[in-house]
Amino acid sequence: MGSKNLLVALAGQPNCGKSTVFNMLTGARQHVANYPGVTVEKKAGTFSFDDIRVELVDLPGTYSLTSYSMEERVARDFLLGDDPGVVVDVADASNLKRNLYLTLQLMEMEVPIILNLNMMDVAERRGQKIDVAKLEDCLGIPVVPTKAKKGEGGKALKARIIDSVATSRKSAFKIDYGVLEPYISELEGPLAEDPVLCVQYPVRWFAIKLLEGDAGAVELLERTHSEADRVVVLAESCRERIQEETGSAAERHIAFARHGECARITREAVILPTEKRRSLSDRADKYVCSRIFGPIILIGILLLLYEVSIVFGNWLALQAWPVWGSLERFAADVLPQAGFMSDPLLRSLGLWVVKSTTAILNYLPIFFLLFGLIAVLEDSGYMPRMAFILDRLFRRFGLHGQSTLPMILGGVYVGGCAIPGVMATKAIPDERARLATIMIIPMMNCLAKVPLYLILIGAYFADTGGIALFFIATVTLFMALPVAKLLSLTVLRKRPSAPFIMEMPPYHIPTISGVLRRAFERVWLFLKKIVTVVAAVAVVVYVLINYPGLTANREAHYQQMQDTAVTAFMKDVQKTGLKGELTANEVLPIILFGESLKHAKIGVKDKDKAAAINLEFKVKNPVYYSVVKRVGKDGKKLNKSLKKVIKVRKKIRREARAERFETSFLGTMGRALEPVTQWAGFNWRINIALLSAFAAKENSAATLGSIYGIDGSEKSVQESMKAGETGFTPLHALALMLFMALYPPCVPTSIMVRHQSNSTKWMLFSIVYQTLLGLFVASLVFTGGRLLGLTGFQTMWTFYGLCVATTLGMAMIPTPEEKETVSTTTVKPCKENCS
Amino acid sequence: MKKMMIVLTLAALVAFAGQAFAHSPLMSCFDNGDNTVTCEGGFSDGSSASGVKMHIKDGDGKAILETKMNEDSECTFDKPAGTYMVIFDAGEGHTVEMNGADIVE
Amino acid sequence: MTLNELEPGTRCVMKDLTADGALGQRLMDLGFFPGVEIEIVRNAPLIDPVVLHLDGYHVSIRHNEAKVIEVES
Repeated sequence: MGSKNLLVALAGQPNCGKSTVFNMLTGARQHVANYPGVTVEKKAGTFSFDDIRVELVDLPGTYSLTSYSMEERVARDFLLGDDPGVVVDVADASNLKRNLYLTLQLMEMEVPIILNLNMMDVAERRGQKIDVAKLEDCLGIPVVPTKAKKGEGGKALKARIIDSVATSRKSAFKIDYGVLEPYISELEGPLAEDPVLCVQYPVRWFAIKLLEGDAGAVELLERTHSEADRVVVLAESCRERIQEETGSAAERHIAFARHGECARITREAVILPTEKRRSLSDRADKYVCSRIFGPIILIGILLLLYEVSIVFGNWLALQAWPVWGSLERFAADVLPQAGFMSDPLLRSLGLWVVKSTTAILNYLPIFFLLFGLIAVLEDSGYMPRMAFILDRLFRRFGLHGQSTLPMILGGVYVGGCAIPGVMATKAIPDERARLATIMIIPMMNCLAKVPLYLILIGAYFADTGGIALFFIATVTLFMALPVAKLLSLTVLRKRPSAPFIMEMPPYHIPTISGVLRRAFERVWLFLKKIVTVVAAVAVVVYVLINYPGLTANREAHYQQMQDTAVTAFMKDVQKTGLKGELTANEVLPIILFGESLKHAKIGVKDKDKAAAINLEFKVKNPVYYSVVKRVGKDGKKLNKSLKKVIKVRKKIRREARAERFETSFLGTMGRALEPVTQWAGFNWRINIALLSAFAAKENSAATLGSIYGIDGSEKSVQESMKAGETGFTPLHALALMLFMALYPPCVPTSIMVRHQSNSTKWMLFSIVYQTLLGLFVASLVFTGGRLLGLTGFQTMWTFYGLCVATTLGMAMIPTPEEKETVSTTTVKPCKENCS
Repeated sequence: MKKMMIVLTLAALVAFAGQAFAHSPLMSCFDNGDNTVTCEGGFSDGSSASGVKMHIKDGDGKAILETKMNEDSECTFDKPAGTYMVIFDAGEGHTVEMNGADIVE
Repeated sequence: MTLNELEPGTRCVMKDLTADGALGQRLMDLGFFPGVEIEIVRNAPLIDPVVLHLDGYHVSIRHNEAKVIEVES
C-alpha cells in the first residue's frame, strides 16, 4: 500500500565496479555530497521496487575495515551508526579470494549482507567457473551474480535486496581464529556485561577489533563502555600474551586467518583455468610502464589532455561568450537607469557583481571538458600508471606520483587553472603529499595570469619576448618544487603519510554515460560552492574600490562640467524648431535612448532587421529618434551637439572613476603598503592593482587599464604604463611578474583549497605564505638586481639559475620517510632464543 | 640545444599566445548615417581598448586608413566607398575583423 | 631473503612480514600473507616503485616497502 523506506549500503573493494552497480540500480536519481567534517564523498541515490522506496548509499571503496584511513572509518561509522537494512557487498568475481577478505569482515560486523558477484563477464573471460550455490552454502548469505557494465542482473539484485529484508536470515558463518579464540572469549566477557555497548555493537566483532589494536574501536569503547579503562588494559594484556605465545602480533594472526578462510572458500567454489594467460592489460603495461615508451606515452596523454581541454575549451568558451554578454546586457536593462555622472548604487553594484560572476562562468566549457577528461583517465585505470612512472621523482619533493595530474591542470607551461587542479588532489592517498600539492598548485601558470605576463613582456621585454615567456612559464615549476619540499620538511612534517601500496587495476573502457555524469556532477559542485562566494566577494571589492568616494569639492567640479555641457546643448536647441519641446533634464534620457538603440542592434548584420529595429524606436519616441538618428535639419544639427555632450559625459565618468579609485580604501591601502613594497619596486598604483587582482586575476588587466587611463590619452595600457611609470624598468616588470606568479590567484581557488584541505586554517596559511613568498621573491629580485647593477634580463636568468640550483639541492635532502627506519617487530621471545 | 630552446619557445609563444583567453577582444560597429562609421571596442575582462590599433582595408586588402581607439575605446572614421574591412588589432594574436557589408545603420 | 632483493621476472612465495602498524596492515589487506605466490613483474622507469603480480591482480609498492616482505623461492 503505502511505500516503505529502506536504507541500503553499497560496500566493496576499489575497482570492483561498485559505481557501475550503483548507477545500474539508481539510474539518474543520485546526488553527491560530503560526509560531515571530512573530504570523503558521499554518494546517495534512490530506486523503487515492489512498492518499497530504497535509499542507496555508496560507501567509499575500501580493501578492509581498519581505522587507518578516513575512507575506512567513514564506511565503518556508517555501517555501525546509520543502521542500514541491508549491505550489498560488491565483489570482483574474477578476484574472489581477495574480495572475500572484505566480505568476511562485513559479516563479522553482523550486518545483514548480500554478496554481489559483479564483473562475472571478466571471470568468464578468464576461464573461471564459479559455483554460486556452493558459495551461498559456504557463507550462509545470499549471493547474486551481475554484469553491471552490461546492465545485467540489476533486477535480480533489487529483488534479492527486498527479499532479504523480509526473510532477515542471519548467517551462522564464523571464522575460526584458532589460537586466538580463548582470548576473544576473554574479551567478550566484560564487553557483553556493559548494557549500552552490547546493544549497539556486535560483541565478538568488538573483541576481535580490540585484539587487533584498532584505534577506532578503542575510541568507541571509551565512548560507550562504563569501565573502558579496565577493558583497554585487558585487551593490552591479551595482545602481549598472544605475542609471547605465538611469536607474532595478534593482528597478523587475524589477517592471516582471514586470508586462509578466503582461500579455502575460493578453492571450494571456484574452478580456475589450468593455463595462466597474460591478460591484455598486462601486455599493454609492458609498454605503458616501460622505461622508454612509458614517459613518451605519458607526455602524449598530458599534451592531449591540454589540447582538448584548454585549447578546444578556449574556443568553446569564445563561442559561448555571447551568452554571458547578453546576461550582462539583460542586467543593464533591468537595473535602474544610468545617471549622467554616476549611476545609482543598485545599478553600479549590480553590474559589477554580474560582471565578476560572468568572468568565472566563462570558464565553464573548459571545466566541463577538463572534468570529463579526468573522469576518462580515472575510469580507464591509467592514473595508477601515471603515479607509478613519476612517483620516484615527485617523492623527492614531498609530493606523490598522483600529484602529476593536479599540477598539469594547474598549468605547467602556459595556461591551466588552479581550481580543477586543487579539486584533482582528492585522489592523492597520502595526506602529507596531498596538502603539499594543494599548497603549490596556486603557483602554477593559470590562464588568468597570462594576459598580465603578456602585457608586461610586451612593454618591457619586447625584443626578447619568446624567451621571457619561456622564463616565466618554467620558473614557476622550479619555485614550486623546492617550496613543496620545504613545506613537507617543516609545516607538514607532522601530517601522516601513507604507504604507497597501490593496486594496478586492469584497463577499462570508460562508459560515455559514466563520464558525462561525473563531469556534470563536478561542474554542478563547482557552481554551487564557488559562484555564491564570488558574488559576495565582488560586493566587498566594490565597496573597497568605490568608497569613501569623491569629496564635495570634486563632485562640484564634475557637476559643473556636466552643467556647462548641458547648457551648451540647450542653447543649440533654442536655435531650432524643437525649442520648447526639449527641456534640460531630457538630455540624459536622449543619450540613454541612443544607447539602447545601439544595444538593440549589436550583432545585427541584416539591413532589413536593422531597419525594423530603427522603426520600433522611432515609434517609441519620434523626437528623441530624430536627434539620435539625424532626421531632418534640426535632427542633424542637434545630433552634432549631442555628440559633444556625450563626449563630455564619457570624460566625466572616466575621470571621476579613476579619481574615486585612487582615493578609495583600496587606494589608501595601496599607498600605505608602499614603504614595504618599494623593495620589490612596486609603487602605490601597482599595489592597488595587485590588491584588487586578489579577488580575481582577470581584474588586474582591467584595473591596470583604469588607473593608467587617467590622462585621457590615446595610448594602450602598455604604452600608458610605460609613459605613466617613467623610471619603470624591465627590472620592475620582472619583479612584478614574479609576484603575480606566486601570490594567490583568485578567491575561487582559495575556496577550493579550503574545501579540499577541509580546514580554514590551511586556506589562510596558503594565502599568507604565498603572498609573503611573492613579496620576498619580488624584493629579492628587484633589490638584488639593483644592488648588483644587473639589467632586467640578466637578473631574470640569474634568478632562474638560482631556482634550478635550489630545486636540485632540495632533491638531495632525504625525505622524512627515508629517515624513518621501518620497524622490525618480529621480536622472538626470549625463551626461543636462549636454549 | 640553445637553438632548439629558442625555436620551442617561439613556437609556444605563437601557439599559446592566443590562449590568453579571459582577455578576448570584442568589437561592434555602427553606421552613423552621416557617412561615418563608429566602432566600439573592448575586452571580455573589462579592460579598456584605448590605444588599440585599427586598420581599415578595402576589398583587395589594401590599407585605406590606419587609426587607433580613443580614450573612450571608440573610433569614428569616414565610411569608405565600396567594400571594406575593419580590423581591431590588439596585437598578440587578438584581432577582430568585421566586413563593411555587415555594418548597418 | 626480502622481496626487494629479487629481480623482475622472478617468482617467489611469501614467508612473513616484518612490519607492523599501517604499513603491515595495508600489505596484509592487499593480499600479502604467508604462502601467497608473488611474481616480480617490472620496475618503474626510474627503478622505484615495482609492480608485483599476486593471485590474479597487480600491486605496485616502493622498494623500501618491499623490504619488509620476507620471501623464499
